[in-house]
Amino acid sequence: MDGGYGYQNNSYGGGGGGGGGGFMPGETNSPSGGKGESNQTLRPVTVKQALDATQPYPEANYQIDSADASTICFVGQVRNISSQSTNVTYKIDDGTGEIEVKQWNDPSSADSMDTDEAKEGDDGGSGKPKIELNGYAKVYGKLKSFGNKRYVGAQVVRPLTNINELHVHLLEAAAVHLFFTRGPPGPKTEAGSGGAVGKGGEMSMGGGDYAAGNNKALPAMSPVARRVFNLLKNEPQSNEGLHMQLIAAKLNLPATEVSRAGDELLTAGLVFSTVDEMTWAILEY
Amino acid sequence: MSLQTPRVLPAHLHAFHPSSATGPRATHTVRLLGTVTALRGDTATITCGNNGDVTLLLKPDSHLQMGKLIEVVGKVVDLEGGQGLGVRVLGTMDWGNPADCDYKAYEYVVEATHRVKGIFYDSNE
Repeated sequence: MDGGYGYQNNSYGGGGGGGGGGFMPGETNSPSGGKGESNQTLRPVTVKQALDATQPYPEANYQIDSADASTICFVGQVRNISSQSTNVTYKIDDGTGEIEVKQWNDPSSADSMDTDEAKEGDDGGSGKPKIELNGYAKVYGKLKSFGNKRYVGAQVVRPLTNINELHVHLLEAAAVHLFFTRGPPGPKTEAGSGGAVGKGGEMSMGGGDYAAGNNKALPAMSPVARRVFNLLKNEPQSNEGLHMQLIAAKLNLPATEVSRAGDELLTAGLVFSTVDEMTWAILEY
Repeated sequence: MSLQTPRVLPAHLHAFHPSSATGPRATHTVRLLGTVTALRGDTATITCGNNGDVTLLLKPDSHLQMGKLIEVVGKVVDLEGGQGLGVRVLGTMDWGNPADCDYKAYEYVVEATHRVKGIFYDSNE
């Protein structure tokens, strides 16, 4: 443990962190930083993924493939439209499942319906009137739940008329799913071709690192696990390896994510725990 | 779980036949995409890109137009007189001009939905 902190102090020297304070930045900054980042993402999903999304704890952001996915978009056929005074509820079916979508009536846009501009044509109004029963629509919104019922609070629901957009969306959803479960495709191909080149350079970036140290046989893993593995590989350390908190601070990630990545690496047999369960070193042979 | 309607090509229809040897599936209902190439009263034929034709058994209120690209949701059934498999239409969606659709993209979608099955369909095999 002490060895680990020693390195922490060194690396923090430039950044202005203090010895004992090493824990605090990791605990307080990372989660908030992570949230800000992930709340901005708009993830293409299938309805099945939206229904399968999990919450790590009540009121938390929904997660799909262990990645925050609060704002999502999907494409499907409108099976039911029910207009209420405060909202319009659609039932959307994309062939993988069915989910309810609620779009709250925006008082400001309701007002604009009364203006001359809106009266000039259907296009002048919001997209809502053009959504047809059994037609396709694209929905952008946030996953919510009411009681045990999952629904999507929609920011935008617009009709979709080009079938290619439907197909692209489904392919995109598949690609993003693969990204989160198997990691980015880029480094893998690099590892194949760049292996010989990377051998000399210790400080090469990204996927080159595996190619250098570990040949090509690095199994598929999540991006976070990849980063943790890289850090363990490249960071100067004692034979006790690095502590989870230290890794979290260095990668600026929430401790929970690093812990999960560690489990993944442990399961894959790529790292082993040393002085305690939360201190890992690369398993080299 | 709500009804799932896998997107397929004509070659996959046999796997969704009720008597399929691959075991019981939750659904015999599939989605097909094709161009209407023949209309015969209560049946019609769609051509699915370069993947062959499928005979549709229409509903009384099906309104298909020749030469339009349509997406069909329907059940896989045996055709009368042992003419192979057909699809009993539950619903259709008119996508307009077939030239506006990249059918290759649809073929990739079908492939992706089978390869990355977890995010599209429940597995019951």
